[in-house]
Amino acid sequence: MAEENLLVILPYAVAFLVFTATLVSYRVIFGPTLADKAVALNTATTKAVVIIAMLSLLYNAPYLLDVSIVLLMVNAVGGLIIAKYLEVRA
Amino acid sequence: MIALLFLLFGLFIMFFGALGLLRFPDVYTRLHATAKCDTGGAISILLALALAADFSLTGKLKFLVIALMIAMINPMVSHAIARAAYKSGIKPKAVVDMYAWDNP
Repeated sequence: MAEENLLVILPYAVAFLVFTATLVSYRVIFGPTLADKAVALNTATTKAVVIIAMLSLLYNAPYLLDVSIVLLMVNAVGGLIIAKYLEVRA
Repeated sequence: MIALLFLLFGLFIMFFGALGLLRFPDVYTRLHATAKCDTGGAISILLALALAADFSLTGKLKFLVIALMIAMINPMVSHAIARAAYKSGIKPKAVVDMYAWDNP
């Protein structure tokens, strides 16, 4: 069994990270330039990876970690493609 | 106990990263805030989860694999976005622009 006090605090940690991702999504929508939107999207995806890892511990389901790894790879490829688009368009 | 400490530390670091993303004036300063704070916070939280989980050995190793991949992927993407932003014509508002000394 996992540590009990960590399991007690873990749903509040998930809610706190979702609140932080909501704060970041302001910069995704209203960012002044496209680079700001790319930075904010990268941050929000990293927060989503950590949230999925927390949910896998909370629901005692190790297969959710594979979802987290795949989302991380998609984040890498998407960030590099957006950077390439910014560089070529200029 | 040590896992709880790591978790709280990571949560604070990620909150301050989001605050810096909202409040800083420039693309490069925002990148500085999010790349450093987000990478450190995510690795700290994943170490806490790997310490506290009761999965099998492969399940615990997957947390460490995710932490290693974040440590490699997140600075790479940040560097690519900063380079692309500079080449697409966004000048930094900072006082010292050392990148323009080498690349006029």
